[in-house]
Amino acid sequence: MNRALGVALVAAAAAFSWWEGGLHQYSTAAHSGILAAIALTLASALVAGVGRQATTTGAWLRGPLPIRRHLVEAPGATVAVLVWIVLLLAVIGWDLNSFVHQRHDLPTLSSIFGHLTSSRGGRAAVVALWLTLGAALAVGWRRPR
Amino acid sequence: MSTGGEVWIALGAALGLWTALSALRRGIPGPVAVIRWFAQSWLGRALALCAWAGAGWHLFCQRP
Repeated sequence: MNRALGVALVAAAAAFSWWEGGLHQYSTAAHSGILAAIALTLASALVAGVGRQATTTGAWLRGPLPIRRHLVEAPGATVAVLVWIVLLLAVIGWDLNSFVHQRHDLPTLSSIFGHLTSSRGGRAAVVALWLTLGAALAVGWRRPR
Repeated sequence: MSTGGEVWIALGAALGLWTALSALRRGIPGPVAVIRWFAQSWLGRALALCAWAGAGWHLFCQRP
C-alpha cells in the first residue's frame, strides 16, 4: 500500500474514533458511524479478498479435525490451541451465566466494557481497537496477487 | 469485590498469563495466530467479521 494512503487511513481512523468516542450510544450519529464502519470494512474484505485466501473453506474446516495426528506431529502447539479453546469457552460460558442470572454481583462482559466506554477517551480507545481488529480481519493475511 | 468480578479477574489473569507465555515461548500460538487462523479462508473470515460487527454494534450502540 502507498505510504501516504496508509498514513491518511490511520489518521482518518483516529479522527473517526475520537468523534465516535464523543457520541452517546443511543444517538443516531453513533449508529450511523458504526454502521458505516461495518459496511466499509465488509466492502474492503470483498474487494481485497477475491482469489487471495490462504486456503479453501473445505480445507480450513478439515484442518483441525485429525487431532491425534496433530498431537503426534506438534504436541506443544496442539495443547496450546486446546488451552486457548478452553479459555475462550470459559469466558463465553461465564458471560452467558452472568447474563442469564441478571444479578448485580454477576457483571457481564458488556457491562464491564460499559465502564470502559463511559468516558470519551475510553470509548474512543475501544473504537480504535475495534477498527484495528476489523481492518486486520478484512484485509490481513492475504496471498499476494 | 463481587463474586462475578473475582471470576472475571481470574479469567483475565489466565488470558493475560497465556498471552504472555505465547510471546515468550515459540511453540505457543498467541492471540494474533488465533485471529490469523480465522482469516485463512472465506468462511473463517466471514464468521470472524460477523462476530466483529455484532460486538461493535452491541458495544457502541446498545447496552453498555
